[in-house]
Amino acid sequence: MNTNINPPNNHSRDIAPEHIAQLLTRAAQRLDDDTAAALRRARNAALERQSHREPVFMLSTGHSMRWLMPHSTHQWVAAIILLVAILFGGLSYWHHTQETDLSHLDAAILTDDLPLEVFVD
Amino acid sequence: MRNLLIIAFLSLGLTGMPAGAATTSWHSLAPAQQEALAPLSRQWDSLPEQQQHRLLKTAKRYPHLTPEQKKRFHGRLEAWSKLTPEQRNAAREKYRAFSKVPAEKREQVKQMIRQDQEVKTVQSASGVSAAATSSDRD
Repeated sequence: MNTNINPPNNHSRDIAPEHIAQLLTRAAQRLDDDTAAALRRARNAALERQSHREPVFMLSTGHSMRWLMPHSTHQWVAAIILLVAILFGGLSYWHHTQETDLSHLDAAILTDDLPLEVFVD
Repeated sequence: MRNLLIIAFLSLGLTGMPAGAATTSWHSLAPAQQEALAPLSRQWDSLPEQQQHRLLKTAKRYPHLTPEQKKRFHGRLEAWSKLTPEQRNAAREKYRAFSKVPAEKREQVKQMIRQDQEVKTVQSASGVSAAATSSDRD
């Protein structure tokens, strides 16, 4: 059993890659037209697939972006809630900062050693 | 439908931000707030809610003031509350601009204003008009 499987492996290991290429070229030259045409078509199809795979960065980026996008209604709802929460938090923080700033300013005007009339028209 | 409900609910939450706080009556204020805003006790209930809200925020600083600052705060509060929102905004802008002036120049301006105030005080006390004072100097 083993003798049927192992010898080709051992044999192929002994042949130099250049020799394999020569053998394949010679064998291809002996093929009939139909087989050669079929092989050419297969090669072209493989190349076509390869060329589609070329813009790896674009496709992979698009894929990762799609992964980030919500896929279901639940995910859309969650995304909207998250967005609104971020917006709300930002607005609240801004509002709080404004309020604190104004109260600080008002207290400063009301307690400054310069009279109020100086700042009021 | 559910999404719309959620969005509507959140929108309502957004529009109901702190700006729309309800009017607060004088009697519902905490003792510390009443102490800080004492000069406004009579007109407090008639003040717009926005102004009440702002004054309550300002009053939070009252406990941290020195006795002199507390006196000034109380002395100016009524006049401050009678200003229009535009006048208050203009005063804030002026104060902000004045704060950016270099300390040395600011002190010079303060000195000039103090002198001017003193002159006015003396004039009003003695009942002498400004014209008469200037003619005396001549």
